[in-house]
Amino acid sequence: MSKLGFAISIAFTYFTIIYLTGLGGLFSERSGIVNIGLEGLMIIGTVTGSFGAYYFGAKLGWGVPAGPLMGLLLGLACGAAFASIHALATVTFKIDHIVSGVVINLVAVGLARFLSTVFFGQATQSDPGQPHLHVISIPLLSSIPAFGRAFQGLSPFVLFPFLVVFPVWWILNRTRWGLRLRSAGENPEATRSLGVAVAPLRWEGVLISGAFAGLAGAFLSVEIVNNWREGQTLGLGFIALAALILSNWNPIRLMGAAFLFGFAQAIPLALRDWPVIRSIPEQFVNMTPYVVTIVVLAGFIGKVRPPAAAGKAYEGTTT
Amino acid sequence: MAITATAPPAAGTGLKTRPEWLESAIGQGLALVLALVIALGLGSIIILLYGENPLDVYGSILRASTTDKDGPAWVLSAATPLIFSALAVSVCFKGGLFNIGVEGQYLVAMVTAAWAALHLGGLLPGPLLMWGVLLFGMLGGMAYAAVPGALKVKTGAHEVVTTIMMNGIAISLVAWALNNSLRYTNAPVGQNVDLRTNIFPANAKVPDLGHLFGYGPAPRLSWLFPLAVFAAAIVWFIVKRMRLGYEARAVGASAGSAQAGGIGIGSVQMKLFLISGALAGLVGMQQILVNNASTSTGGYLPQNYEATLGFTGIAVAFLGQNNPIGIVFAAIFWASLSRGESILPIETDMPREFVIILQGILIMSVVITYTLAKRRLERRQTGRVLAEEEIVAAQSAPALEGTTT
Repeated sequence: MSKLGFAISIAFTYFTIIYLTGLGGLFSERSGIVNIGLEGLMIIGTVTGSFGAYYFGAKLGWGVPAGPLMGLLLGLACGAAFASIHALATVTFKIDHIVSGVVINLVAVGLARFLSTVFFGQATQSDPGQPHLHVISIPLLSSIPAFGRAFQGLSPFVLFPFLVVFPVWWILNRTRWGLRLRSAGENPEATRSLGVAVAPLRWEGVLISGAFAGLAGAFLSVEIVNNWREGQTLGLGFIALAALILSNWNPIRLMGAAFLFGFAQAIPLALRDWPVIRSIPEQFVNMTPYVVTIVVLAGFIGKVRPPAAAGKAYEGTTT
Repeated sequence: MAITATAPPAAGTGLKTRPEWLESAIGQGLALVLALVIALGLGSIIILLYGENPLDVYGSILRASTTDKDGPAWVLSAATPLIFSALAVSVCFKGGLFNIGVEGQYLVAMVTAAWAALHLGGLLPGPLLMWGVLLFGMLGGMAYAAVPGALKVKTGAHEVVTTIMMNGIAISLVAWALNNSLRYTNAPVGQNVDLRTNIFPANAKVPDLGHLFGYGPAPRLSWLFPLAVFAAAIVWFIVKRMRLGYEARAVGASAGSAQAGGIGIGSVQMKLFLISGALAGLVGMQQILVNNASTSTGGYLPQNYEATLGFTGIAVAFLGQNNPIGIVFAAIFWASLSRGESILPIETDMPREFVIILQGILIMSVVITYTLAKRRLERRQTGRVLAEEEIVAAQSAPALEGTTT
């Protein structure tokens, strides 16, 4: 039973990554820009976040709360900055969204290696000694017998999704800006006919997606692994995309979808010696997150409705 | 398309009768040159920040792939898997599909090909074995590509996400095979060796080509290179001359119109995925079937195989503008740049990763300039059609005006 608790604590960690990245995708797609480059934006977040935590926390000696927080902030900022390429390509030049996203992913891998040589003098991992935030145990929940393991020793940052979920929902559904953003993704012609410019909204959507994906990447390298390693995002950006589809582009339902995929990640890591799982070859257990994603995607795709204009260039005047 | 509705009639194009293919070739050429200028320009800024001379750095990269000993052979052998990979990507792209799963397809194909090389020796005598192995590689790639293809056709699951997930599964499949059915059994007693398959029989390997041109065995330039060029010719034929190619382009341009025109979208998409998978199946053959000079053995599937060739293929396909002939040249160019990676830290103060950045900037610029050139061309053609219509309208009914929208 304590194994299950351990699995859930891992699931929480992955939930945070998938939820934040998915939230990024949500802002972008709600504005009408499909962002398949989330993985690449995360990669930029991992390498710059790791550098931020190392540089400010260890090298400049800012210590623990400030160093890792600077890492997270740097990941967020660099994710948004890198996403501006996607915005430039898709909103301004009206390049096919998938083509641009694929290129973003390709370029991110190389850029991360390059940045790593600049930051750490080596291409595939960061220097050791990178600080992270003090882990917390959630009161009450962590004292549940056997099961409490799920709520012990967590990064405080796993609470972040719970802090932003309602504000995000409120912004998208109750504020003028949020409604305009969504209208740009549903019917840009109608948006413009009301005198609202579509292009700036879409730029904002894409930049926010970069900020969230970069933050999620920085969380992974700063708080979870405490190190940057090449390839550590493991396709989580694409899994976040699948979670976004499963959530029907809704920030509240995205929580459930992200937790489902987060739990799938935890199975090979924490539940390997469970009765049935024990008898399956290790390599097949490792496939679990990918198989779950494919099955969910294939099973749910017809039952959800993406923003109507997502993926389509808007040819109207841009100002 | 909305583009035609808002495009202003291009002024001054008049009724010039430059052939359409020439105009598009000029446009693409200019776009490529522009992208190269942007990439080399931004690259120069990075080089200057490192305190180096851009001309020296670019000169080193150029020299490494041309005048250096065995340079061209290194480039062509590195280009070989990229040609297969980019062709695989481009076939799907013709039909508007993004096969990001070439990566997983070639990993699985290396396993099926390795199995064939180790087990079919008795069945296929002499050089037939090599062809059998290549065929099994293609079949493995096809089978693995069939899964996202079927998911796309039957459920509508987006192939970008499913193929990426299939890539993750493929890595585990290779690991499983190397630990079980393909495990190295001929290891000398007491010797601890890397996880890999047994060595293939000599007949399974692809013969060297480089020695015919006076190159050494180290670059591993093999007959797979001409085979890759031949594959490009076949893809060209399928896309330009066969019904499937026409249908694929129709589906890629507008699935709705294609369906209205009586084209079975699902069947076209499935066929494209299968062809793409077959091509992807050949990507890994360069590394498992060609003699490895460094170990002087070669012909086995190691655990530390070269990965990410499937992703590089996407970049090469974009650079070659999804044209089979363009892809061959793009792959050679890409491989020349990559050849520079090993030379940079030796001859200059630049890190080898600079080449990756240069390639990244290039691919980003190429995608943008190609699209802009294509749009400009479409606009010019629209403008010309509109101009012709105007003339016809003016001749037949001078009173009609304002019909150009």
